[in-house]
Amino acid sequence: MTVDILSSIKGAQPSEAVNKLFDVIKNAHPANNNSFNNNHNNCVSLDNLRADVVVESSALEKQIIIENFPKEKNGYLVVSKVIEE
Amino acid sequence: MNKEITCTDLVQEKLTLLKQNTHQTVNSLLHTLAIDLASKVDSKIASGETIGLLEGIPFGIKDVYMLQGTYATASSELLKNYKSAYTATAIQKLMDAGAIPIVKENCDSFGHGSSSENTIFGAVKNALNPELVGGGSSGGSAVNVAKDYTVFSIGGDTGGSVRQPAGYNNIYGLKPTYGRISRYGLMAYASSTDCVGPLAKSIEDIRIVLNVMSGQDIKDQTTYASNEIDKDSILSSKDIKTVGYFKNFVENDAIDAQIKSDFLASIEKIKAKGVEVKALDFFESETLVSTYYTLAMAETASNLSRLDGTNYGQRIEAENLKETYAVTRSENFSEETKRRIVGGNQVLSQGFSDEIYLKGLALRDQISENFENDFAVVDVILSPVTPDTPPKIGDSLKDPLAMYLSDAYTVGFSLGQLPTLTIPQGTATGLQISAAKNNDELVLKFANFLKDTL
Repeated sequence: MTVDILSSIKGAQPSEAVNKLFDVIKNAHPANNNSFNNNHNNCVSLDNLRADVVVESSALEKQIIIENFPKEKNGYLVVSKVIEE
Repeated sequence: MNKEITCTDLVQEKLTLLKQNTHQTVNSLLHTLAIDLASKVDSKIASGETIGLLEGIPFGIKDVYMLQGTYATASSELLKNYKSAYTATAIQKLMDAGAIPIVKENCDSFGHGSSSENTIFGAVKNALNPELVGGGSSGGSAVNVAKDYTVFSIGGDTGGSVRQPAGYNNIYGLKPTYGRISRYGLMAYASSTDCVGPLAKSIEDIRIVLNVMSGQDIKDQTTYASNEIDKDSILSSKDIKTVGYFKNFVENDAIDAQIKSDFLASIEKIKAKGVEVKALDFFESETLVSTYYTLAMAETASNLSRLDGTNYGQRIEAENLKETYAVTRSENFSEETKRRIVGGNQVLSQGFSDEIYLKGLALRDQISENFENDFAVVDVILSPVTPDTPPKIGDSLKDPLAMYLSDAYTVGFSLGQLPTLTIPQGTATGLQISAAKNNDELVLKFANFLKDTL
C-alpha cells in the first residue's frame, strides 16, 4: 500500500528531508538489533491496572462531545456515507 | 501577606497584557472562567478561609491540553473549533491548588515543530527580539512567561519542546522524568516521550508547580508515584561531586562558536568550584535526531490516525467514507504534520519496519544504556540547549532537515526519559541539566548551584 493511502492524505509523497533521517538509521549498526530484549519498558504491575469498569461521563461532558460532533440532523449525529467495498 | 492588589485585579491585568500583546502567543483567552475563579479567591481571602498553595496565581496552558469547556485547537485547522470535553489531570491538579488558567497558548500544530511557526494563529515572536522565532513547540508558553503575561505556563515536551523555547527566551523550562506527571488530557504526539513540563522564571516556581502536578494517575498507566521535592533539600548541592558533558556536542562544526566558548567557560567555572568534570562519549547528533524522529513520526502517525473528521474535527464531505477521511486530513493538516504522518507510515509499513523502525527502537535502547553507564560515573550531565541562536521568523519552515537537526541536544534526553531542565544561564540559549531517571530533585539542586556559580 502506498503512503498516501496508508496516511489518508491525498497525493502524499515521502519527503526528501525525512528520507535523509531514515538513511542514517538504515546505515547505523546497533549492537543489539533485538528491541524486544530490553529492560527499559514502562511496565505496569498487575495490582496497578485500571479497573475494568464503565465510567459514566458527566452531563456536561456528554453535551460537549455532541457539540464537537461535526454534523447533527433531527437530533441524530450524522456520520459520513459508508461505501462497502 | 500583601493584600494591596485583589486577585481579580491581578488576573484582569494579565488578561489585558495578553490581549494587547503583539507576540502572537494567544490562541484563546479564558476571560470569563479566569475572572470567575479570581472573584472566588477574593471572597475566600475576605472571609479568612485557608487558601491553596497556588491560590489566585494566573497561569497559561499550551493549546494541546484539555480544559473542560474551552477550545483545544492544537494550533490546527482540523481542531480549530474543538472544545475539550474533560480536563487534563495535570491542569486539574493546578486548579485544585488554586491556580487560575487564563490563556490557551500558541504552539506548533500538534507539537510538530521547533519554532512555533507551524500554527494557524501566526508565528510566535521571540520575547527578546520579535524578529526571531519564539522557539517550539511550546513557543507561546515560553514567551508569555518571559514577558510576565503569565506567572508560569504548562508546556509539553516530546523532543525538546519545553527546553528549547525556554532557552530561546531566557527562562527556566523543565522536562520531568517520563511518567512523573500524568499525560491524561495532553494530546498525544509521541506517547513514549511526551512529558508535561512547567516553564517559569525561577527554580522555586518550577519546584512548586512540579510538586503539584506530579503523582500516579490511574488514567495514565505510565505514571509512577514520586516523592515531593522539599524546598530546603535543593538548596545545598554538596552531594553533586561529578559533572559530565558530551564531547561531541561541543567538538563539531554545527555549534555556534560563541555558544561553544560560553559553554566551555561555564565548565571552567564549575571546575573552579571544586566539582570534578568528565568529558563523555555519546552518539553522533545525526543518530540521535534520526532515532528520535523515526520513533516520534511512527507514534504520531498512529496517534493522529483518529483525526479523520468522523467523531470530531472539521469534516469535509466527499463522495464516500474513504474520500471523506482523505480530503478532511489533506485539507486540514499542515505541511509539517503531513510530512511527519507520512514518514511515520513509511517506517511502520511492511518491508520497512525491520530496516528502520525496529532498528530505531534498538538504537534507543543503546542510548538509554549509554545514559545508565554515564550516571554510574557522573551525578549530572550538562549540555548546551541548542547548537545555535534562534532563527529569524520564516527561515525554519524552508528547511525541515535543518530544523530537525537543530534538536540535536534535546532529543537524546527525551529518548532516555530523563529529567532535564533548561536554565537561562551559561550560553545565549541557556544550559541543560540532566540527571538519572526519577532524579528530578538533583537537577533542581544543580540549577541552584549554577545560579550562584555562573
